Amino acid sequence: MLGNRRAADQEIADEVSHYMEESESALIAKGLSPEEARRAARLELGSATAIREQVRSYGWENTMGGILADLKFALRTLRRSPLFTLIAVLSLALGIGANTAIFSLMDQLLLRLLPVKDPDSLVMLYQRGTNMGGNDGERANSYPIYQDYQQRADAFSDVFCQKMSERVALTLDGQTELVSAEMVSGNYFSALGVKPAIGRVFNSAEDDQVYKGHPVVTLSYDYWMTRFAGDQSVIGKKVLVNNYPMTIVGVSAAGFSGVDPARSPKIRVPIQMLPMVNPGWDATIGFRRLQWVRVFARLKPGYTVQSAQASLQVLFTQIRHYEATLPEAKGWSAKSRAGFLRATVVVEKAATGYSQLRNSFSKALVVLMWMVGLVLLIACANVASLLIARAVARQKEIAVRLSVGASQSQLVRQLLVESLVLAAAAGTLGILLAVWITKGLLSLLPTGNAVLTLSANPNGRIMLFSIGLSLLTGLIFGLAPAVRSIRLDLWSTLKDAVGSVAGTGGAVRVRKVLVTAQVALSFLLLFGAGLFVQSLQNLRGTKSGFESMEHLLSFQLNPSLNGYTLERAKRFYQETLENIRALPGVQSAGYARAAVLAGAAWGDGMLVEGHVAKEGENTHAMVNFVSPGYFRTMGVPLLEGRDFDARDVSGASAVCIVNRTFAEHYFPGRSAVGRRVGSTILRNGKLDVEIVGVAENALFNGPREGSRRQVFFAEPQERYLAGETFYVRTNQDSKQMFGAINNAVRRLDPQMAASEMRTVESQLDQVLLIERLIAMLSACFGALATLLASIGLYGVMAFVVARRTKEIGVRLALGAMRGSVVWLVMREVLLLLGLGLAVGIPAALALGRFISAQLYGVKENDPWVAGIAVILLSLIAAMAGLVPARRASRIDPLHALRYE
Amino acid sequence: MDEPNTDVIQGTLDMLILKTLSLEPMHGFGITRRIEQISRGVFKVNPGSLLTAFQRLERAGWLDSEWRQTDNSRRAKYYSLTRAGRKQLELETADWNRRASAVARLLKVEG
Repeated sequence: MLGNRRAADQEIADEVSHYMEESESALIAKGLSPEEARRAARLELGSATAIREQVRSYGWENTMGGILADLKFALRTLRRSPLFTLIAVLSLALGIGANTAIFSLMDQLLLRLLPVKDPDSLVMLYQRGTNMGGNDGERANSYPIYQDYQQRADAFSDVFCQKMSERVALTLDGQTELVSAEMVSGNYFSALGVKPAIGRVFNSAEDDQVYKGHPVVTLSYDYWMTRFAGDQSVIGKKVLVNNYPMTIVGVSAAGFSGVDPARSPKIRVPIQMLPMVNPGWDATIGFRRLQWVRVFARLKPGYTVQSAQASLQVLFTQIRHYEATLPEAKGWSAKSRAGFLRATVVVEKAATGYSQLRNSFSKALVVLMWMVGLVLLIACANVASLLIARAVARQKEIAVRLSVGASQSQLVRQLLVESLVLAAAAGTLGILLAVWITKGLLSLLPTGNAVLTLSANPNGRIMLFSIGLSLLTGLIFGLAPAVRSIRLDLWSTLKDAVGSVAGTGGAVRVRKVLVTAQVALSFLLLFGAGLFVQSLQNLRGTKSGFESMEHLLSFQLNPSLNGYTLERAKRFYQETLENIRALPGVQSAGYARAAVLAGAAWGDGMLVEGHVAKEGENTHAMVNFVSPGYFRTMGVPLLEGRDFDARDVSGASAVCIVNRTFAEHYFPGRSAVGRRVGSTILRNGKLDVEIVGVAENALFNGPREGSRRQVFFAEPQERYLAGETFYVRTNQDSKQMFGAINNAVRRLDPQMAASEMRTVESQLDQVLLIERLIAMLSACFGALATLLASIGLYGVMAFVVARRTKEIGVRLALGAMRGSVVWLVMREVLLLLGLGLAVGIPAALALGRFISAQLYGVKENDPWVAGIAVILLSLIAAMAGLVPARRASRIDPLHALRYE
Repeated sequence: MDEPNTDVIQGTLDMLILKTLSLEPMHGFGITRRIEQISRGVFKVNPGSLLTAFQRLERAGWLDSEWRQTDNSRRAKYYSLTRAGRKQLELETADWNRRASAVARLLKVEG
């Protein structure tokens, strides 16, 4: 190759020197002296090396098919108009970046198949309709019904189940850390076709036979690599799981993260070890009225999702009929019994696994995907408009080049290369932006304790999507004007060069249509953003029932992870409260078992003294365990009765406080204090808890819940050890309090760490994460869209004014007022705006129902929000139009008439 | 007075080379001399453009080349027209005639 090149160079050199010799001898023949002849020949030929260079470089460029030359030319032209290049590249890059970011998340959450054997035959089983009991998590089933499916369902070859546990204390060589654990049935690994990397994984024969009888642990591959650096000797190691001794038996295969595409556990434990992993769940595994396991299955060959569901429904109805004869069902009304028997089972494809994160985010992601899609459309419209304007401006240049012999294909190729360069630049910048945006989005997601498996790196598929998008944009909007300019009649264009506007009317019309579309789309986005922002404000403004949440701090302590006994933990909690209350700036403190505004429902069916459940009555109430001082700390007033005190802490008698909704529901017009209640699960159905107080309503889960019945038990009635969420009311800066509180805890036990320290206000933000995310992003997209559309509007009007300079000059010369010239331009701006709104408003109203589920306290056709969007858009559009309008009014008539 | 413009009309060099070679194979300087002679000195060929044009035309498949002894026994690269080159010459000639007569008509009208 290189030798070839050298030979070719030599040949060129030979040819040049031969040419010089011939030239010299010709001059000598004319009578010049040899020296003169040589000098003259040199002069004529120029430097021999320069010629060689010229010839060679020509050959080289020619080999590359002229593409490089086109590329250089394109870069040069783009550099010559930096504003055009900047706007075009930035518009496209923002559109592509936002799209790629949202698509990256969508791909990972919604589209990617699980990395297991034959994911297409995986299904998930769950039920719809009342369970007459408790639920722990979405799509959960009771363990006994899972066993029924496993033994009796015909449609499936494997039925397996799992349950995630976010916080488990894993102690190894004296060190304790919190890890996420997944409890799995014995056949979990074999059903998914997942092999061990080392050691063994669980199987039904060894790990799913005896309740509490399988103290074994497998590690996930990632955890093994990061925590143990891939050390083979972990097999057989003894560990403590929540202080219970177990043995590591293996590591699951690399690449397998689990059935949840968003979160993967670090360790797995047989589900028979439930009470060791979730302390206090001792009676749960055989209990049919608590749903807590997620059940997956593999379809047998020949079954479809529909036929499997039909077949399972028969079994499910049989099971329900059986369950209705059990003792738990005795108190049910005829109506609830009928509803219970009517419930249906659902078989759903699970090739992409199941993720609660996905469930809550997928709607939001789809809405956002549509929004960014619209932003990209607007960006494309901008670039198209710019390219058309450029093509019109370059008609003359192109006509000249055509007439001096450039071929049409050469010109098309070159214009195409130019738009591809634009698209490539925008695509590259867009991917960088996408990584940045995705990182930002991921940092907003709650990580809990599990490893968030979503990554910010765009993968190959997303690269393709993004690059395809940019190329398509470049092709469509680069090629159309290119073909247009080449088809132009040469002679008319050349003649046109002097001051005529003919032949450009079409281009302006296309650009005006584009601007109208931009205005319409911007309105859609602004209006949507307005609705989301309004929803968020409504949610944040919902009366929480808690007093000034910015001065209310919360943090969690979990002494079970430090090997505390129940008794020691209770003493520790008490001392912690005393220490914190003694801190300067602390007004009061208390703690609760379940954190409020954390999005975690905890509830139970309630029994109430003297109350006979009516037909179909919902007896569910939210439940919490709280310490004395909790209500004062939260700023929730007691309407009646008393707070818990030392008597209750000693546990002498079982007492509770109910909220206003509960009291008004069961004791309308009467006092609730002194009555007795019981609960189905927590109190085993005994009516033995006395109501000692009634508290004002306050939120439990989050702002959307409305006012629900709530029951607060005194804390010592718990029978097992778990973490507590502490609440501290302060009148000082919360940041400073965090350190003081940490020190107060450490003084009691240097090993103890307070986790999740934050204000309740920021906890509320966390609960409203999805709403905040949508509101924030849609506001950004709306602003971006409006900006792009106003750039588009400005561009068209500036172009129109430039084209009409002469006409406006004539008008001014004939005595038109400057104001009327401004109006002349603004009339057109307003017309474009009006047309855009005339399309955008009905479209927004028609599309509103797709987002109505995401809204809170605002209708999808809210006239106020629409009005604000119209005003905002009009103001910005008018400003964009006013610039060229004022320029038009300042045209100097004399100058204008000489223009061009 | 300025020297008369002896540049070859832009875009016509290829056609002139092809035309010259349609008579007989020639080397570079031979073509230069022939074009100057026949145009009676109106056109002078720039050697750089000429040698570059050879590369272009050869790559387009319109010219063949081989090294040969000249009459005065020097080694020179001789170019000859290929079949495709002959066709191209016809095309360019027809095109040129069409355009030249158009220009001529225009000049007549304007004059």
